[in-house]
Amino acid sequence: MEDYILELKNITKKFPGVVANNDINLNIKEGEIHAIIGENGAGKSTLMNILYGLIKPTSGKIIHKGKPVKFNNSLDARDCGIGMVHQHFKLVPSFTVWENITLGVEVRKNKIFVDEKKSLEYISDLSKKYGLEVNPMDRVEFLSVGIQQRVEILKALYKGADIIILDEPTAVLTPQETDELFVVIKELVKDQGKTVIIITHKLREVMAISDRVSVMRRGEMIDTVNTKDVDENRLAELMVGREVLLDEVARDKIDSSEVMMEVKDLYARNNLDMLAVRGMDLKLKKGEILGIAGIEGNGQSELIESLTGLRDIAKGEIYISGEKIKKINPLSMRKHGVAHVPEDRLSMGLSKDATIMENLLMGNQNKKEYRGKLNHLKKKNVRSMSKKLIADFDVRTPSEDVLIDNLSGGNMQKVVIAREFNFNTPILIISQPTRGVDIGAIEFIHQEIIKKRNEGVAILLVSAELDEIFRLSDRIVTMYEGRMTGEFKPSEITRQEIGLYMTGKTLREEE
Amino acid sequence: MKLVTKERKEYLISLSLSIIISLLMGGVIMLINGKSPIVGYGALLDGAFGSKFKIANTLAKTAPLVMTGLATAIAFNSGISNIGGEGQLYLGAFAAALSGIYLSFLPKSISIIAVILIAGIVGGLYAFIPGILKVKFKVNEVVTTIMFNTIAILFTSYLVNNPFATSDSKMSGTDIIASSFQLDKLVSLTTLNSSIYYVALIVILMYYLMNKTSNGYEFKMVGQNGLFAKYGGVKSGKTMMIAMVISGAICGITGAFEVIGVHYRFLEKISPELAFDGMLVALVVKNNPIGIVAMGLFFAAMKTGSIYMETATGIPSELVKVIQAVIILFIAGENGFKSIYINWKLNRESIKEEN
Repeated sequence: MEDYILELKNITKKFPGVVANNDINLNIKEGEIHAIIGENGAGKSTLMNILYGLIKPTSGKIIHKGKPVKFNNSLDARDCGIGMVHQHFKLVPSFTVWENITLGVEVRKNKIFVDEKKSLEYISDLSKKYGLEVNPMDRVEFLSVGIQQRVEILKALYKGADIIILDEPTAVLTPQETDELFVVIKELVKDQGKTVIIITHKLREVMAISDRVSVMRRGEMIDTVNTKDVDENRLAELMVGREVLLDEVARDKIDSSEVMMEVKDLYARNNLDMLAVRGMDLKLKKGEILGIAGIEGNGQSELIESLTGLRDIAKGEIYISGEKIKKINPLSMRKHGVAHVPEDRLSMGLSKDATIMENLLMGNQNKKEYRGKLNHLKKKNVRSMSKKLIADFDVRTPSEDVLIDNLSGGNMQKVVIAREFNFNTPILIISQPTRGVDIGAIEFIHQEIIKKRNEGVAILLVSAELDEIFRLSDRIVTMYEGRMTGEFKPSEITRQEIGLYMTGKTLREEE
Repeated sequence: MKLVTKERKEYLISLSLSIIISLLMGGVIMLINGKSPIVGYGALLDGAFGSKFKIANTLAKTAPLVMTGLATAIAFNSGISNIGGEGQLYLGAFAAALSGIYLSFLPKSISIIAVILIAGIVGGLYAFIPGILKVKFKVNEVVTTIMFNTIAILFTSYLVNNPFATSDSKMSGTDIIASSFQLDKLVSLTTLNSSIYYVALIVILMYYLMNKTSNGYEFKMVGQNGLFAKYGGVKSGKTMMIAMVISGAICGITGAFEVIGVHYRFLEKISPELAFDGMLVALVVKNNPIGIVAMGLFFAAMKTGSIYMETATGIPSELVKVIQAVIILFIAGENGFKSIYINWKLNRESIKEEN
């Protein structure tokens, strides 16, 4: 029998109405990089939270170095040398790096006072030892996401972690930062003998970094395999439970000379009243998908909201089919033929307390087809429209009267996309179309988007997933701090190069 | 729309359970006080529905509860909390009384419609102010409407005691309105009057508006998720304002009915917090118009029945208030109780499995 540093035996966790983990067995070898993959709702997070002592399992055992252990809270897990870096960092923004790292386990003078000098020494030793460079005196709120993540890893190491759990660590990183992180992880494992568990849904990264992969699906552990024995397609198949096409979607050749929407010198402020979009110029052409690549928070959301009338523009002009739009609000933009799939389906794209039918009706309620003379809704037409869209867009639901709240993320997103695509507008603005959506649904949504493009619709696509941008776009624009930094054909640029433009390099600098 | 969705069915079950449990608790209280619950509830039922006279009284009490319940429902449904129903009711009632005095030349054929319109406009305008403050300046409408209640009640109190005080008695009231403005009493010696027909009409209109029209749909969406409605092209501010004004108008008309149907004049304390009772009715049935009619009848029956129960059996009528409070408490805790129940079921199942 092999020696495992950590074994999970028959772990089951039930929540009201769902079994999040069903009889899970997982063995982690010392000094390996172990990836755990699965779609949303597969139970990865629940399992990791059990491992880190945040959730108690309904039944099952955890064995650490051959000894059964019980975790009542995360301190117990920490005592066994388990550390966790959450997807959403748990840092105090107004504290410095060293304060954040030592928080809770401070180095003390006379048992009362925090010993700053010793803490600093300790941390600089630590960051040298593990090759994680940080300035301990920096305030966390001014650090980039990549550095913040480093602080989180240091925090875990400082607390004596031998097993580090990384929850979706690359979700917010640029390709460069991802590469750096992977170097760090490899060093931690190879040189320092640490064990790393990495949770992700990006198959390419699994292939690049892990030694072994465990695949979860619907609360069950499907399989654990050596990474070198599988490929991406096989992993996707294991995750979804059936064959998945990860190939290119067929694109028709389309005459895309006609400019459908033009944005000139657009400025917009964010919710803190600071300029978030600073002079964007865009030309969106018929039958093309224009992808906007950028790290989140560089003005993409504000740009989209300005173009759909949800946010007042500070300066600039919007033209649709050559006509200048004077009154810009959500209703007028919709009337001008702009449909919008918003980045956050729950806060904006849907009403979760309403039924699928009511959600599909939004924007249609004043159309002749659905509204009678006395303003009454033609329920029959609404129902038949709903039934058709549910069938066409493969929304998995027993009926159109089900509340949105009861659907999975993927099905919710399909409802939004069904509604917006059904307007048959010449312009589509799509933001994060597959965020938190399972692979099967991603595949479907991508195909629908390409179909729309093939019909000649002008599509503006914003996504934090670079893979998605590359897969769908005919043209890519990079955005950094509210400005455009470059424009490329996806075939002419690599992910690494585009990463540079996403972090501020501009085409002009090059010349 | 299917009449009974899964959610609605669950809610009906919780509501019935709440009512049954609170009635049982009322029974326990009666027992502790040495009274028989069967006799007590018998008297309550008899008092509410025991004769034509008693039924008339119950119906007369139902009408204003249903009206103010509907007013609450349309505003809350659209995401604007109109707590100012009482003030809108007072101003509507006062406007109705003035119309009845100064527009006495109007023939009966149009006088009633005129007074309903005037009271509706006054109530609606009084709701418009906190509404516009909320939509344009983000002033919390809960605070403003509550303050507006006090203003309206005290202002009408000043008017009715000074410039418009009646000369024929020492009561704090206006003069009697012209007979062309007085609605007929349907059962003598009760306050049940023909305003109940108008109330029925308003119930139908409101049901149609809220449940069947595109406007009702927009109200609901704005109330559920304002950002979603805005994104979908609904003018949330305008929608909220319309709902608020309709709410105020209904409250104003409720006040008018108290004047032209019950008292035939404006009185200083004309409403025993009718708007707040209506708010409770709407709250218990989650703003459903049909539910409001049923619950309004239930609350009104408890009110009339309790008075009879007190004289017949000596059980204090305040007991009914306890029962109502318990119902509301259970309804407010509905989700909590539900999850306790689900957890308990889950635990029991897992124990079963382990054995």
